[in-house]
Amino acid sequence: MMGGEVNVIEVQHLVKRFGEFTAVDDISFEVRKGEIFGFLGANGAGKTTAMKMLTGLSFPTSGEGHVAGFDIWKESEQIKKHIGYMSQKFSLYGDLTVSDNMELFAGIYGVPRHEAAHRITELLDRLSLSRERNALVKDLPQGWKQKLAFSVSIIHSPGIVFLDEPTGGVDPAARRQFWELIYEAVDEGITAFVTTHYMDEAEYCNRISMMVDGRIDALDSPAALKTRYGASSIAEVFDILARGAKRAE
Amino acid sequence: MSSFGYLFIKEFKQFAANPFMPVVLVLLPVLLMLVVPLAANMEVRDVRLAVVDRDRSALSGQLVDRISSSGYFVLVSGGDSYEEAIGKLGRGQADIVFEIPRGLERAVGRGENAEVYIAANAVNSTKGTIGGGYLSSIVMEFSSEIVSAGHRSAISPLDIVPQFRYNPGLEYKLFMVPALMIVVIVLVGGFFPTLSIVSEKESGTIEQINVSPVRKRDFILSKVVFYGLLGIFAFTLAILIAHFVYGLAAHGGMPEIYVSAMIFLVFMGGFGLIISNYSETMLQAVFLMLFFVLIFMLMSGIFTPVSSMETWSQYVTYMLPTRYFVNILRAVCLKGSHFTDLAFDFVMLSVFAVVINIIAIVTYRKQN
Repeated sequence: MMGGEVNVIEVQHLVKRFGEFTAVDDISFEVRKGEIFGFLGANGAGKTTAMKMLTGLSFPTSGEGHVAGFDIWKESEQIKKHIGYMSQKFSLYGDLTVSDNMELFAGIYGVPRHEAAHRITELLDRLSLSRERNALVKDLPQGWKQKLAFSVSIIHSPGIVFLDEPTGGVDPAARRQFWELIYEAVDEGITAFVTTHYMDEAEYCNRISMMVDGRIDALDSPAALKTRYGASSIAEVFDILARGAKRAE
Repeated sequence: MSSFGYLFIKEFKQFAANPFMPVVLVLLPVLLMLVVPLAANMEVRDVRLAVVDRDRSALSGQLVDRISSSGYFVLVSGGDSYEEAIGKLGRGQADIVFEIPRGLERAVGRGENAEVYIAANAVNSTKGTIGGGYLSSIVMEFSSEIVSAGHRSAISPLDIVPQFRYNPGLEYKLFMVPALMIVVIVLVGGFFPTLSIVSEKESGTIEQINVSPVRKRDFILSKVVFYGLLGIFAFTLAILIAHFVYGLAAHGGMPEIYVSAMIFLVFMGGFGLIISNYSETMLQAVFLMLFFVLIFMLMSGIFTPVSSMETWSQYVTYMLPTRYFVNILRAVCLKGSHFTDLAFDFVMLSVFAVVINIIAIVTYRKQN
């Protein structure tokens, strides 16, 4: 607890090893309720591995962590009820329609039927995807798929949404639009935990952590980090920190 | 509606939208049931018979005529000596050598016993043994006619009158068609759910499921139940073909057949899911499944009787649920057995189905 703020994620000394390789090397941090927390780092820095431990997809090697008040070792199924997750790799059912996918995930998260119908219409409207309601998901362009995946991840209005490289492979205009969707979700009271390797996106976050070689080298608000390292942009901060990196891109 | 309901609907929509699998589901039983029994017939015809007739008498002539008119044999010249005929056997020009010794007619006329020789090439053991069997029964019949026609005989030959119960004509199709019905159910029930889960792994959709609060048993059951129903559909097609094309009327009731098929499909579904829990790619899953499917088929009495296996392998068959299912299906189709006659098989089949599905749920890990 810091300054009376509520932490929705608390992590202490989290480690994940695959054999000899330490993907996540003793990280500790907190995420406050209602903030956009940026998880920055180069490809292979360990961002996705860390996120999988927080979302109950993999067990840590050691360390402690709580997400939405539940223990990541023992209560991962409880955690899953309170979070949303958007994978780096598109993982909705391509052979189903847009509304089929939304109904399916609203259903398995236990959203009551009439509420789900209302929520789906609202989300489709917000995404400007209403006309594609009955289109097969695999036929959508990449940028739309990502917007759809995001709206499916918040379809049950979770406390926290985990977004793993949500803007990978889309053009700058679409990335900007995507961030507007994240802001709208945060306005609804959802905490956003976002990984990215686009340093300009860091400016959209309340606080960011910089991951290098499995460790968190810096964690603060973008403005504070720039001041501390005497840099004009987050990209510059990252360059300073990444000089010591051993893992190849 | 529960998660199970939503997942079941999802399976149905995915299957219906697939351009390929529904076609396979219909063609697989239809082609298997229509083509295989006609093509892979085990009846033996056109056995090439090399006759060495050293008696050259009226009686030996009658015997050779009798053999050639039976329709099972094609006569090839055996030459003058046994050695020459055996040479033909060795070169693959004949399947069976039949030698009539010198002095046959004379011996029979005096009421003595006479011997004829049959040498069969057993490289193709079916052709050799069945052809040899046909030949000896023709000779036996011939010799008993000689006796009844008034020739004196030292020993009156014993007549064996076999009566084959439940399959009086020893019709090969009656044996083969239920076997193929089982093959249909093994293929559909085993491969469909396995491929469906592994394709979710390959496309990454399983990750979206694993990060949700869906209970493992809901996810597993949605696959087992949906693909089980598809198995019942394919099995019904097979039964209809068995009935209308081959005239196989089940003597027993449909309830026995369908209940056993359902239990077996639950087993196959759970088994396929275990395989997909341990496979990362389609290729891996298909090879692993094929390995077990072959064992299920070859070792459970579908094509070869369990009782003629080695003793150790007979014990192994008790570990294969296919054995119980094959027992039930054959007994019901051919003998008209009921639940009470087959209680042991039903219980064993159910135990396998429950245990394998528990293992499937336990080995499916949402978190690793």
